[in-house]
Amino acid sequence: MDVARLKSIVGAQHVRDAIDELYVYGADASVHQAMPQVVVRPGSIDEIREIARYANSELIPIVARGAGSGMSGHAVPLKGGIVLDMKRMNRIIEIKPDDMYCKVEPGVVDDDLNRALKPYGLSYPPSPASSRIATIGGEIGNNASGIRSVKYGATRDYVLGLKVVLADGELVDLGARTRVEAAGYQVHRLIVGSEGTLGIIVEATLKLVPLPKFRCLSVAMFDKLEDAGESIADIIASGCEPSMLELMDDIAIKAVNTTLNMGLPEVDAIIFFEADGKVKEAIDYEITTMQEICKKHNGQITATSYDLKERTKYFSGRKKLFAALAKYKDGYACTSLADDMAVPYTKMAECARKIHEIADKYGVIMTAYGHCGSGVMHTKILMNPNDKEKWEGAKKAVEAIYDYVDKVGGVTSGEHGIALSKAPAWKKARPDLMKVMTKIKKALDPNNILNPDKLMDAPDDWYTATPIRYMIDKEKTAG
Amino acid sequence: MALENLKKWEKELNTCIRCGYCYENCHIFKLTNWESDTPRGKLILAYGMINGDIEPTEDIAKKIFECFYCRLCEAGCSAKVPVTEILTDVRQVLLDDGFDVEGTHVEVDEDKCCGCGICVSVCKPEATTLKEENGDKLATVDKVKCEACGVCTVACPSGARELKEGYEVSRKELDAKIDKFVKEKLPDDAKEKTVTFCCNWSVFPGLRLSVLPFEDKESNKTLVTMCTGRVDPEMIVQAMRDGIAGVLISACPLGECEHDANYKTLRRVLLLKKMLQQLNIEPERVKLTWVDTNEVAKLEKEINSFSEEVSKLGTVTVE
Ligand SMILES: Cc1cc2nc3c(=O)[nH]c(=O)nc-3n(C[C@H](O)[C@H](O)[C@H](O)COP(=O)(O)OP(=O)(O)OC[C@H]3O[C@@H](n4cnc5c(N)ncnc54)[C@H](O)[C@@H]3O)c2cc1C
Repeated sequence: MDVARLKSIVGAQHVRDAIDELYVYGADASVHQAMPQVVVRPGSIDEIREIARYANSELIPIVARGAGSGMSGHAVPLKGGIVLDMKRMNRIIEIKPDDMYCKVEPGVVDDDLNRALKPYGLSYPPSPASSRIATIGGEIGNNASGIRSVKYGATRDYVLGLKVVLADGELVDLGARTRVEAAGYQVHRLIVGSEGTLGIIVEATLKLVPLPKFRCLSVAMFDKLEDAGESIADIIASGCEPSMLELMDDIAIKAVNTTLNMGLPEVDAIIFFEADGKVKEAIDYEITTMQEICKKHNGQITATSYDLKERTKYFSGRKKLFAALAKYKDGYACTSLADDMAVPYTKMAECARKIHEIADKYGVIMTAYGHCGSGVMHTKILMNPNDKEKWEGAKKAVEAIYDYVDKVGGVTSGEHGIALSKAPAWKKARPDLMKVMTKIKKALDPNNILNPDKLMDAPDDWYTATPIRYMIDKEKTAG
Repeated sequence: MALENLKKWEKELNTCIRCGYCYENCHIFKLTNWESDTPRGKLILAYGMINGDIEPTEDIAKKIFECFYCRLCEAGCSAKVPVTEILTDVRQVLLDDGFDVEGTHVEVDEDKCCGCGICVSVCKPEATTLKEENGDKLATVDKVKCEACGVCTVACPSGARELKEGYEVSRKELDAKIDKFVKEKLPDDAKEKTVTFCCNWSVFPGLRLSVLPFEDKESNKTLVTMCTGRVDPEMIVQAMRDGIAGVLISACPLGECEHDANYKTLRRVLLLKKMLQQLNIEPERVKLTWVDTNEVAKLEKEINSFSEEVSKLGTVTVE
């Protein structure tokens, strides 16, 4: 690795290769860890082009990195090489309120973009829960979606155009500024969800929508998870347009109650639903219809409000769930495994039950919650991460869950992407997709330098793909 | 090896999900933009040192000793990890292991220190003590405990204490920023220039990770001073002398200051206002306001209305 050359491209102050830097940039929010050889922070498109030309000629891997909040090892540099930290390119280039789009550099943070859009009465809505730090580049890399995607869609629905530096350093301008474009391959869409394996996004043109004037949230409690599941399926089938539809199972409820003292009723399931828009009467209609559906399935409506403070209060149990899960039991960790499957609406409740069943069978704790309005079922495996046996159980549980999800017509990842931890199950489930993706990858990155060994090229065993971040006792580590 | 002592944090370090929420508002990260300077990065380093993946180095130690203890990392943490408690322990261990590095802690100019001990009485984290040397008393700073709030730098009657340069909060750096702002040309419709001194523990508009398209065009410049208890009246007068028409100070509400220092700020501002009156300068040019951590909108409003008021007063001349 010619570090001096990289320094001459971006400036010495933007290149680091000390062990401490490499160690930190080898981790993200997944269970994986691996070290790059150097971390480079480019400041311009030209610099990125030159880095790519150099890396391509020397066959050095490049892993683009946003905030490193991916949960499956997306930005973990499995093959070493260069980590390209994109956070320096964080300018919102322009906001065009009349044309309803904006142009940003890839390092812009989602929440910052939405703060900047607010004065125009606009928003960029596919934000993931991690929007406070997640970068637009990373969100496009993952095709992120979030709490409001049930109504507003995922990142893919908002990317109008992209400027991308290809593996050989060529800069291509893809897509358009207009809402629609019927002209050839939608290559910019191909980049969405490509997890840094096809090109480096250097600029994005994003579609914007008006901020809703009102939001109304309602909460329903269920004594039976199945009833909650049926309510969700019926709400969607009824033609209602919730702007949010979330589920929490009994373990999730218990977690927030015991660790955060939330005082939620210890029922079998809670669903939170929201409607938004310009006209209150229309929102009332949506909310009432959804409430009626819940009641029909024995749900009890416990709260409804337009008021921001009250909405925040009611929703805080769901909002703080992550913290609660992390503290579920002394000595336990909340591991990101099998964390974001999507299943057909009618399978939601069954899926949640199945998750509990599988967890019991393999001796781990798993909760089911998530953006059920978009069909996404989140889980987390809660266990003592220093216990080798638990990892064995976790491995089996992950496999069993993905088998089930595949059987009912669901997908391995609805939200967080594939990268490393989900690759084995996903490869098994989608052989045709693998073939096409391999051809595309070969065409665009023949030397396999862009985030190599991810997605279809990821190792067949996630557990041994990299050292697992948790185990302090080295004897127990896998990698 | 003292690193063994850190094993007790293993469980807490395991609960960290490495989401990165901790660095959203991290002052140090914003200065350097390197992930290794984020609380997450430092916890990962601590983890690596405990499990033997990496050896402690001067570079690592320096990072660990850089923290202003605003605890915004803990407020933002998904898993409620006691970030600063862990990292303070890591400091101690590294120091015990011989890594006596320079960090964010307050510096004492021994030539100026008169050994009066006022700094000891204002230091909430008890990081300051007096030591005897050849019969003279000298103030010292405990590098592990010092939270770099800066309160002692104003309390010190001999000007012997200062926040380190390099973090954009030393007196020299703040003065330079004000100076630069004074020299900047404003758009024609902009009003008199004002400055807002913001507390690092409360809220400040600079809490952004991205660069917005139209920044720094307003007639107000917000500067983070660390605790407002370190806002020296002399700093305010200096700003006015430089050509700033008004100074707003945004502090945590009374009773909520981590350093018990906003009462001191209140007293100082009251005295300063009296002094300004004697100098025939409108006391309204200085205002102290209380803003809680989540009151972003309030701060914005306060800045706007203050700028409005000051623009009515016009420019100021300080002899
Ligand atoms: C607590 C928590 C909650 C989360 N909630 C959600 C959620 O609700 N929905 C969801 O979808 N995800 C969620 N995530 C996962 C993750 O935060 C998001 O998917 C996010 O979009 C990742 O952004 P990032 O900037 O961290 O990207 P990184 O993790 O840094 O990178 C993600 C991928 O994008 C690639 N990439 C980054 N920048 C570029 C670029 N400029 N060009 C090309 N490729 C690039 C990387 O190589 C990598 O493959 C969550 C994560 C956490 C920790």
